Amino acid sequence: MIAQGHPRSIGKHVPRREDPYLLRGEGRFLDDIAEPKDTLFLSFAMSPHAHARILAIRTDAASALPGVVAVYTAEDMARFVKPIRTVIEIQGYRASSRMVLAQDEVRFVGEHVAVVVAEDPYIAQDAAELIEVDYEPLPAAVRLEEADSESAPLVHEDIPRNVMFEAAFASPDFQAAFESAEMIVSETFRTGRVAGVPLEPRGCLALLDHVADSLLFYTSTQIPHLARTALSEILDFPEPRIRVVTPEVGGGFGTKAQFYTEEVVTAALALNLRRPIKWVQDRREELLTSIHARDHIYRLEAAIDGEGRIKALRTDLTTNAGAYSSYPFGCTLEATGGARMIVGPYDIRNYAFHTRAIATHTCPSGAYRGVAQPSCFMAIEGLMDRIGRKLGIDPATVRQRNLIRSEQLPYTNVLGVRYDTGSYEECLRRALERVDYWNFRKRQAEARDDDEVLRGIGICCFTEVAGAGSGGWRVRGLTKVPGFDSASIKVEPTGKVTLLVSQAAAGQGHLTTFAQVLADYLGVKVEDVFVSEGDTATAPYGTNTFASRGAVAAGGAVIKAAQSLRQKIARIAAFLLDVDVERVELTESKAIDKENPEKSVDFRQVAQIAYSMTSVALPQGESFGLEVVEMYDPPLATWPNAVHAVVVAVDRRTAKVSIEKYVVVHDSGRLINPMIVDGQIHGGIVQGIGEALMEQIVYDEDGQMLNANLLDYLMPMALDVPQIDISHIETPSIDALGGFKGVGEGGVIGAVPAVTNAVADALARTGANINRLPLRPSYLLREMRRRQLAVDGDRK
Amino acid sequence: MSQATSLRKTDVTLTINGKSYTRQVEPRRLLVDFIRHDVGLKATHIGCEHGVCGACTVRIDGRTARSCLHFAVAVQGAEIETLEGLSADGRLAGLQKAFHDAHGLQCGYCTPGVLLTAEEFLSENPEPSEQEIRAALSNNLCRCTGYVNIVKAIANAARDRDKTTADPAGESRK
Repeated sequence: MIAQGHPRSIGKHVPRREDPYLLRGEGRFLDDIAEPKDTLFLSFAMSPHAHARILAIRTDAASALPGVVAVYTAEDMARFVKPIRTVIEIQGYRASSRMVLAQDEVRFVGEHVAVVVAEDPYIAQDAAELIEVDYEPLPAAVRLEEADSESAPLVHEDIPRNVMFEAAFASPDFQAAFESAEMIVSETFRTGRVAGVPLEPRGCLALLDHVADSLLFYTSTQIPHLARTALSEILDFPEPRIRVVTPEVGGGFGTKAQFYTEEVVTAALALNLRRPIKWVQDRREELLTSIHARDHIYRLEAAIDGEGRIKALRTDLTTNAGAYSSYPFGCTLEATGGARMIVGPYDIRNYAFHTRAIATHTCPSGAYRGVAQPSCFMAIEGLMDRIGRKLGIDPATVRQRNLIRSEQLPYTNVLGVRYDTGSYEECLRRALERVDYWNFRKRQAEARDDDEVLRGIGICCFTEVAGAGSGGWRVRGLTKVPGFDSASIKVEPTGKVTLLVSQAAAGQGHLTTFAQVLADYLGVKVEDVFVSEGDTATAPYGTNTFASRGAVAAGGAVIKAAQSLRQKIARIAAFLLDVDVERVELTESKAIDKENPEKSVDFRQVAQIAYSMTSVALPQGESFGLEVVEMYDPPLATWPNAVHAVVVAVDRRTAKVSIEKYVVVHDSGRLINPMIVDGQIHGGIVQGIGEALMEQIVYDEDGQMLNANLLDYLMPMALDVPQIDISHIETPSIDALGGFKGVGEGGVIGAVPAVTNAVADALARTGANINRLPLRPSYLLREMRRRQLAVDGDRK
Repeated sequence: MSQATSLRKTDVTLTINGKSYTRQVEPRRLLVDFIRHDVGLKATHIGCEHGVCGACTVRIDGRTARSCLHFAVAVQGAEIETLEGLSADGRLAGLQKAFHDAHGLQCGYCTPGVLLTAEEFLSENPEPSEQEIRAALSNNLCRCTGYVNIVKAIANAARDRDKTTADPAGESRK
């Protein structure tokens, strides 16, 4: 399909087009947009209670403050805003309704109870402080373990026992296989509560076009199209009259793949007050109200044979949904994800799961990079190590014995999900080689009990569910997530090309990578392609940017659109060249006669005819213009796979963890821009190191978040990051157009389990059983001391 | 609380990137808001407003500082430099190129602060070790790159500075 002689752009380190303006500080992020002079600013009054009844709200003092235009409570808002209800069509799901401002009852600290509209953001904040709310505090269910009980306070009256979602599955022969196995290895894993924490907090700006009676809505989001549909439904305002634009987005990580109450309020008040409205949150609000993630408990039981092969696996998963189902992914996303993805690259033929999402009086949880996969692979990979320890078999060997073998591919897993291609064994083989695994094990065996540093090695073999199409979302009940993405190509009259993509990048470099894809598939010079996305007025509809889907879904759409448009270009070129269309090949913005390559016409010449701008008439039967829109629905999912292998040193006295070696062998299928791919992996790994070693959102027993600031919510700094050795295997997808498999989440998915296993391995000789995150020194020391083998810190 | 807003505005004059700006602001006006919203220079970003993330890093009288931790009135008369100024006079050209070549940025939100930290660091330590670069970056949080390519870009910029003579434009400007 790509012309023989066309110089390839896919696979090249093409420097990013986004860089020059960002490096000059000219990237226009939400708060950089110059708002009109008459703009009003919002500030929300937030609940100080995790659970309380609202008895009265007094807004007089706030309203009286000079500069304040209005103050709204839930009652006011209810007149023109519908509740947000996350539709998920799956058995066992109980929807929770959420008003954009809390009505009657608050369910987490930080939930909005009122909003101030003022002429200045400082005044808006002052006024929000003046809102007086009488609360009757109620008992709160804060911790997952507490909320998951018969006696727990209810988060929603109509959701018994706080179970927002419950599902179970067993493969036909599970019970027999489980019962007949030689032995059972089981473990409980507890993951920590973390958040995406993009460096740019959330915000939006709503402007009215009074002539067209329409709404121009700028928002720092990953999902402009889904946000537009949601706004239309919740505000009951016609969708064609809403234009959502994502400006430059300062990091997303899934945090901004949710649609939030503040977006509704900002848009609603602009429509209601007929004034521009702007809202930008501060970091405390960001940490209190942007989705949290990963607060899970996995109870695993593996029935194994004497050689460490898993004959049957049972997962019991409990996830913390928070107070409401976030939109659009809801409380089921992590619960279904963890239960379904955990079988990973392993040939597990008998499987059963029971999974639940439990409501708590905490911030709603949602789709943070990797979703449940960093957690479920921490669990299954932790179990692999335990199988090895139990049987005295090296854990790498245990994995080798359980991996799906190359000759089994394409492989349909126990849940009926197809893995088209992969490189599970080869990734592990190479990773072990690059990390010098067997020599490390030899040296480790020679370590002494009085060494000051304990060294361990951890492995994570994983598959990643990526690029999911409509089928993939429907399987999980997420019927409001379309699954397809789209591309619109216009060869303009001048012969240059405009490519509009239904995505919204937050640093992934789409302006560069989609130009690369189009360059190859349309036969156009990469510099002749201009890419634009994130504006619903120009870009075609799509599912947008999350879940490692950009390259797969939109990349496929670009290819499909290019294939369609190149036929028309070729036909017009054939007419001009006076040859059969089969002889025309498109390369470097020209159409050439394959049999006589010096005969060619360039895209401009073709476009001039298509747009009726020359004396040559359009050939009979052709329509005017050179543009096409194509939607592409990827397969159920694409399946990148990788192995991370990590060596750590743990100081016996301080329990400080140092990462000494970090190896990744990654297979994302065909790579579009290896430089950008590596960047995605680096970033994911470091978020994973954070999640494993330091990050944790801490609520006290009353549901107060104790660390809603960046001093206390610890994230990795440059000094925490090791050298990262990445190598690639490229096994193209055969199910997805272009062979791309997606890469956004792989880094974090591999890092959390690999780092955890490395620390657990280092501490194994002390007898400590490491099964919960984060691996902070206090926890590690406690576990080591429990076995009384840690060197006393005072001895030196 | 309400008296806070009735506090009288005062004239604050700052020199930003060589140009003098006088604005009437409340005493509590943050320097970063003065720069971004009163003057309209948007390269300086706000990430946390409590002095941790470094996205708001500027130079105050020649030293990098967090503009979210200063009140505009408290730096009355100071010379402020932001990314716009350093970029326009070419002092950042080498670093900007190094970041572009090494893919040292993704979303670009932390980048202005990182560039200012790196520029000051390299002017004081022209031949840094990797560990020194990482220590210098303790001023700045980045959530996208994992710092890997930021460290590489700064190391490359230091190496390339050695080869060429320092850009005289930056020196002569003051």
